[in-house]
Order: sequence, then C-alpha cells, then structure tokens
Amino acid sequence: MSLPESMSRIVVVGTKSRMEEAIEAFYSAKALHLIDHTTGTDDMSIGAPLPTNSKASERLLKVRAMEKELGVGKTTETARVSVEEIRDQISSGSVESTEAEILKVLDARNDLNQRITELNAKKKSLEILATIPVDLELYSGYKSLAVIVGTVKEDPSEALKSLADSEAFVSFKKKAGGVAAVFVKTEDKDRAASILSEYGFTEIAVPEGKGPVSEALLLADEGLADLYAKLESVEKEVEALRMKHKTFLRASDEELSIEIEKGEVPLRIAVGEYSYIMDSWVPTNKFQSVAAELESRLGNDIHVEFEETRGRNLHEEEEAEERFKKVPTKSNNGVIAKEFEYATSLVSTPKYQEIDPSVLIMFFLPLFFGFMIGDCGYAIPFIILGAYGLKVTHHKDWRAIATVLFFGGIWAFMFGFFFFGEALGMHFIGHWEPPLNITWEGLLGIHLPEWFSGIMIDDHGISKLGIHVGMLLKLSVYVGIVHLLIGYVCGYLNIRRQHDNKHAFMEKGGWIIMFTGMVVFCYSLTQMLFDSAPLEGMVMYLLAAGLVMTVVGVVITSRVEGIMAILELPGIVGNILSYTRLAAIGMSKAGMAMAFNYIVFGMIMGMGETVVWPGIGFLVIGLLLFAFLHLVVWTLGILSAGLHALRLQFVELMTKFFEGGGIRYEPLKVKRVKTILTQAKADKEV
Amino acid sequence: MAIEGDVGSGLIAIGAGLAVGLTGLGAGMAEKDVGAAAVGAITEDPTIFGKAMIFMVLPETIVIFGLVIAIMGIFVM
Repeated sequence: MSLPESMSRIVVVGTKSRMEEAIEAFYSAKALHLIDHTTGTDDMSIGAPLPTNSKASERLLKVRAMEKELGVGKTTETARVSVEEIRDQISSGSVESTEAEILKVLDARNDLNQRITELNAKKKSLEILATIPVDLELYSGYKSLAVIVGTVKEDPSEALKSLADSEAFVSFKKKAGGVAAVFVKTEDKDRAASILSEYGFTEIAVPEGKGPVSEALLLADEGLADLYAKLESVEKEVEALRMKHKTFLRASDEELSIEIEKGEVPLRIAVGEYSYIMDSWVPTNKFQSVAAELESRLGNDIHVEFEETRGRNLHEEEEAEERFKKVPTKSNNGVIAKEFEYATSLVSTPKYQEIDPSVLIMFFLPLFFGFMIGDCGYAIPFIILGAYGLKVTHHKDWRAIATVLFFGGIWAFMFGFFFFGEALGMHFIGHWEPPLNITWEGLLGIHLPEWFSGIMIDDHGISKLGIHVGMLLKLSVYVGIVHLLIGYVCGYLNIRRQHDNKHAFMEKGGWIIMFTGMVVFCYSLTQMLFDSAPLEGMVMYLLAAGLVMTVVGVVITSRVEGIMAILELPGIVGNILSYTRLAAIGMSKAGMAMAFNYIVFGMIMGMGETVVWPGIGFLVIGLLLFAFLHLVVWTLGILSAGLHALRLQFVELMTKFFEGGGIRYEPLKVKRVKTILTQAKADKEV
Repeated sequence: MAIEGDVGSGLIAIGAGLAVGLTGLGAGMAEKDVGAAAVGAITEDPTIFGKAMIFMVLPETIVIFGLVIAIMGIFVM
C-alpha cells in the first residue's frame, strides 16, 4: 500500500554573510520543508527580513494598488517576461515611473468624476426649480427678505396665505409632490419655516446663476455632455495604460512577491551574530542530492547535517522534540493516483504514518461509478468528456472530476457492454416485446451474430429491471463486503505500523473477526429466511461459526472500545447494506431510461408487435425527444452515481482506517506564471 | 381497467411503496438539518467538504434500508 514518502530531518548551518545566497540555493533545491524556529529552545533567536525587503514591499504595494485601479487581475491575459528583464525594470525604478504615469491619468479621471457628480447635483436642483417662474439671481441678494426654497409632500399654498407681506410660489402635483419658494420678511422666516414643516418640507440649496432656470438647465446639460466626452477620452487613456502596463504589472507583482517571500525566510530560522541554523525536512531519497547541491554552491560557508530518518512508529513521534513531532506528508502516488489525491484532501491530509487512501479511491471510485451507470450509451459521452477535460484543464477540482468521468466512463462501458449488454436503456439482444422488452435488435430489425451474444454474460446481459434484481443486490452486497474488508485490513496495517501487532490485533483485529462473523452469520440467516434452508448441515455450522466469531470479535473489541462494540453490530449490517445503492441507483437509471424509451417509441411507432417506422416528421421529433430525455438521465447520472460512489469511499471505506490531520509537504520553491527564467540564469537559480 | 393479480401481491406492492416512501421522508427530515448546517460550515471553510459530506449522507442509510425491504418484498417474497 502506498505510504507517504519517507522523510529525513536535516540541519543546515551557514555563515550569515552569505545567507542571501544560501536562501536562493534553498529555493533552487525545491525539497526543503522548513521547520519554523521557536525562540527559547537555544540562544539563537529568529532573524530579521533581508534588508532589500522593505523596498520590495513598498513597491509591491504600489504595484497592487495600480493593478486594482486598472482592473488587472489573475485572469488577465498577459505575455510572459524573462526574469532578468523584469528585475532590470524594477531596479531601474520602473515601478515608480509607471506609478507617476498612471496616477496622472487616474487623478484626471477622479477630478472629472467629481465635477460630473457636482454638476449632476446642480442639475437636479435646477430641475426641481424649473416649475417656478423666478429667475435664478432673484433668489438671493436681499437685506430684509428671507428666501426659503424646498420640496414639499403636500400642498402648502392655503396655509402660506396667512403670512402677511409675503410672496409664495408653489407648484404642486398630487403624486409627484411639489416645490415651494417663499419670500418673506426676515423676521417672519421662522413662522414660514414652521408652516412649511407641516407639509413635509425639505430645504434645497439654490444654485448660483443668472437668468431663467431653463437656460441654466441647458447650460448644465452642455457642461455635462462636455465632461462626459472628456471622461470618455480619459477612460480610453486608462484602457491604453492598462494594455501598456498589464504585463509589467503582473510580472513585477509576481517577481516582487517571490523576492519578499525569499526575504522573509530569516524570520523562520535561527539567526545569530555570525551564522544561521535552519531545521528542515527533506524526502529521504533526496537528502544526498540536496546536500551536494548546497555544498557545491556555497562551499565551506555551509554545512548540512543529517539528523534522523523518521520511521512510521508513533513512539518516534512521541520522543521527538515538540517542533519536530509532526512530519509533513508527501504523497507517494503514481500518475493516475495523483489525480485522486484531491478526493482524499477533501476529507483531510493523510498523516505521515498512515496509508494514503488515494490508491484505493483510484480503483474503487471509477469502478462503482461505472457499475452504477452500466450502460454503453451513457459511457461514451463520459469517456469523451473526461478525456477532453483531462486534456484542457489544469485546475485540480476539474481535473479530479474529469479523471473520474474518464475512468468511470471506461468502467461503465465495460459493464454496459459485457455485463448488462445495453445501451441507452435498451438491451442489444432480444425480441421486440414492448413495453418491457425494447431491444436494439428489434428496433433496427437486424439479427446480431452469435459470437456477439457469446461475449456477454447470460447471452444477452443482465437485466437491471426484472429477473436479475436479486442477483444484482447480492452482488452489490458482496462487493461491499470486500470493500469494507479492505478498509479494515488497511486499518490493521496502519496500527501495526504505528504500534505493533498486539495493538493492531486488539484495535482492528477484533473488528475484522466481528465483521467476518457478522457476514457469515447473516449469510446463513438469509439462507434460512429466503431460501427456506433447514437448520442443518452447512447452514447450521455457518450460523454457529458466525455467532462464535461475532462474540469473540465483540469481546476483543470491547477491551478497547468498551460497551460501544456491541452497539456497533447493527452498524456493520448497515454499512454492508449501504452498498445495495450500487444496484439501486443502476436500477433507477435503467427505470428512467426504460420509461423514456417507452414514451418515445410509443409516440413515434406505437407499441405493436412489430416495429413500424413513422413518417420523417414524427421521426425527427421523436429523435429529438429521445436525445433530450436521455440527456436528462445522463446528467442525473453524473450527480447521483458520482456522489454515491464518492460517499461509499468517504463514509464506508475511509472511516475504517483513515485518520488524517497530517500537514502537507510544502518545500521552499518558487512558482512562476508570468515570469520565465532564461537559460543562463536557470542554471544558477530557481 | 380490471384489476389483475391476487390481493397478496397488491399488499406487497403497497408495503414496498410505504417502505420506500416513509423511509424517504425520514431520511429527508434528518438530512434537512444536517445539510443546512453543512452548507453553512462549508461556506465558512471549504476544506471541510469531505467531512461535511460524511455527516450529510449518514441519514441516507435509512432510505437504503427501506429500498432493500421494498425490493425484497417485491422480488424475493
């Protein structure tokens, strides 16, 4: 079984004067998983970031701000730049000059936006005042007169008549509300305000200006149009800047981030006055090459010392110093199993000391998926879609889904062809006996050769709905038993590796005996109940053996788990029966397919004894309907078969042995997307 | 349409229907609470999808039992 890769702990000691160079070397080794230094274990404390870091951080901040303003992001299409070029540009002050250039345009844009907002506000006030026949300059400039202007919710004209020596202009519409302008003596201002306040009055500021309001409105509109035109040209400038600088911005963002990340390494290691000490994990098989590489690059200024190769026994973990306890998990899987690591990681990262379930998932997930689909007609689109997905996508989520679809599709085709012998819910072979027996042979009016039926199970395949239901259910239960047993055995192996045989036997051996006992017991019980076998001979022995094994298993397990062991007994039956979903979902898909076929063929050719082909119109409609309905079954198939296959791994299999909670192996290395290394540099650096 | 078959098989069919229907209801009621909580938890922290899914589908076993009983009723009895 695949355990995570064996890891060794090393200590790297070097002179402080060449630390920066050493950090470059650590990154180029791509294998060092750094162990954070904790102050207090010795006299060394953590170091300070490299001196170049503060300038780089400042620049990165500027770059990010510019990216945000220009709308340049991770998904923006940009060219790739060589590392030397971008470094030259950064060190020659390109960030600062670009910022100046961009800020100039952005300032202009902000200024325009502000003026547009102001003018819009003015226009709004003017629109309100437009219904009052008073020129703008008349609203202000009085000594003994007060002017109150604003909107009202109810008509105040009657109430305003009570004010002596005043002039009130009110324009009111029932639904839209109205506007009132009141000219009163200064001493009456408060009274006028209190009258107005009863009518839902909100004061507005009268814009400055001369002449009639309508003229001012025209002026404002002209001004706005002018500003919008200017804004448009500035937006074009911004877009031009975006196009001009996007590559530089993305590349310098990446380069500066890398520089800062490297510069922060001293914060994680012990640095003294003249030297530094770094603890780290490396894959055991890479230790020699890493040590050789570091020493060849830094010569006498570095010393790499091997500390330990951590075994899988938990004793070693307990004895280790606190910060060396947890070992990072580096999965040790082949090309295909790697794609299934994502499924494992959905639950947790495996511990260093336990079996990585990805290999089991790689085998069983597509198998179960394929069994549940079990139909050539649905399998082929799955294979095509999966292969296409694997070819084009690099995102790990999509890759995981594409892998399941591809391999699941292959299994589905195998099951569909050899085992079930059907495509799109119809058997290949058989007589045309609608509605229950709709076959390709009958539909196409052909007779397939003898050898064709010879390669299928039972000559024409297993029918999911009909006589073979019992057999399918039994088969799923047997598959379940094997699957669960694998889970228990993995659990046993895990414990044996982490402790010893005795522990493993007590913790998982009891379970295995209990499980086997229950299986044998239930088997003989079903023989008696369903096949009415008498309680004698084989059945009796099996029943007794099963019972004894169960009791023994419960006794052993209860020493570890206590009374819970008995309570888990029905759980075992539940776990096994849970696999009947393999048959049940296959049946439900087949049932839907059969119903849809019945609808389509019933509609276009009737359900007679012989196939009668309809006119071309009906045929086209029928085929379209046929395609649509089967697309529904197919889509539901992804969801139900995919999720249930995954569930059987997560819930039934992995709970038997998988603990998780490991830490992921994350070596110091640089991932470049927008910047590339030219060959000359690649030899020396990451 | 005349009713065919005997009363016994009719009762079996009713029983099968009840077994699937009632367990389906039960599983649904149980999953409703778990599912709502699981979706909330996944929104907070997408890395726990697997664990959330394990809890989410636990009650589903009930309906599998119902289905098994129904199928046994129809095909075995």
